[in-house]
Parts: sequence; C-alpha cells; structure tokens
Amino acid sequence: MKEKRKGPIGRAAGLAEGFAATVRRMQREREPRVLVYDETGYARLVQPDGRGYERVLETAGRLVALVDEAEAEAKPRRARRAEAEDEDA
Amino acid sequence: MAGTLIPERTAERLCELSSDARAAVLLDAAGSLAGWHGLPKESSREAAELARELFETVDRAHRDLPGGPPEQVEAQVEGGTVYASRTPRWTLAVVGRRAALSSLMLTDLRAVLGELEGGRPIRRSSPAEEEAAAGPATEEAAASELPVPELGREAE
Repeated sequence: MKEKRKGPIGRAAGLAEGFAATVRRMQREREPRVLVYDETGYARLVQPDGRGYERVLETAGRLVALVDEAEAEAKPRRARRAEAEDEDA
Repeated sequence: MAGTLIPERTAERLCELSSDARAAVLLDAAGSLAGWHGLPKESSREAAELARELFETVDRAHRDLPGGPPEQVEAQVEGGTVYASRTPRWTLAVVGRRAALSSLMLTDLRAVLGELEGGRPIRRSSPAEEEAAAGPATEEAAASELPVPELGREAE
C-alpha cells in the first residue's frame, strides 16, 4: 500500500509525536525500578507498592552514592598523579 | 584455561569486561568480602554489606516466587543502576552507569561468576594488530579457531 504523502503540517505533527515519544521513553528510563530474575532469567518487575521495593531502592541508592564518593575522591588524586608525571617528564 | 579466575580478581574482571561497570564487589557464601574493584578497601566493605542487605531484602520479600528465590536483582536509582547476581557460593554486585544495558550487564555477571566457578573462560576478541604481532596468520591457526570442527577434516 502506498503511503499517503503528508503536507507540512502533517510532517511537523509527525516530528512532534516522535519527539514526545522520545521524551516519554527517557522519562520512563529515568524512573526508579526494581527487577528480580529467577534462575531461568525470567524477570519480574517489583511494583512500587510491592514488598521490599523501597528498601531495595534505598540500599541501591546508598551503593551508588558510595561509588560516586569514591570516584570523586579518586579524581583529584589521579589529576595530581598526572601532574607529577608531567613534571617528571 | 579453565578455573584461572580467582575471587580477588573477579570484580576487576567484570569491570574490564563491561565498560559500563563502575565498581564491583564479590562476597563469599558467608557474606564476607572476597574481592573488589573501583572502590577503596574501606568503602568496599560497606559496599559488600549493602550488597548482602540487597539480597536479604529481596529474599524476605520474594522467597515465594514460582521460579524459586531470585538469582539476580536489578535496581535502578537516580545516579546509576545496581546489578547483583549470585550462585550458591558467590554473590557479585556491580554499580553500573545509567546507560548500561541490563541484559548485557546481567549476562556479564553470570559469565564472570561461571568462570569463577570453574566454567569456561570468557573469550574476548583481540584487535587485528595484536594478532599480527603474535605471528603470521596461517590456515591451520584459523582452523583451530573455528567453533565447530570442519566437516570431512577427519577423513584427510
């Protein structure tokens, strides 16, 4: 079947729809979520009102914060080391 | 060579394998820290504690799942995503970047744990330049790289 040719308004509407869908997808991807997988790899999404949901997110948040801190501390150290190497060279 | 991965190297191996892995910790069956990468030692102890807590929470909440207790967990939060995988002997948890692909990260976790348990080592492709440095490419060498034996080769 031949696709119906769109006019400028139709094309603009198509672009806007695509943009809106992308924004929705990005928002969805940023939302907190918890999934558990059984040994066969079958995934189950834990609902926000599900048991353990809040606790798992809190624990995961603390883990991520720990890594953020470690990386932030390591950066100046790495920069200092690079500077020292430049001076030696 | 099978069985060459040691617990102390496991977290590092995972971070080498996946560019989206920022830091990882390995726990033994007793829940003690057995290896870490991407974190200083003091922080890695705390990370191990949190990884243990993650599975304890999941076990309490989801022990009655039809497929048995969860083997892997994925928790996405604002600054990143935490993935954790376990076998009866080991638990491996990793903090990944937000852009990480879940399926890839979970596969890498399973593969690294499999290697630690004495399974087949994960084969990584090497750049052509390195291969050239190793020696000239020959048909025999190429044949030995084939994943399946060549048909009719035994009859020769």
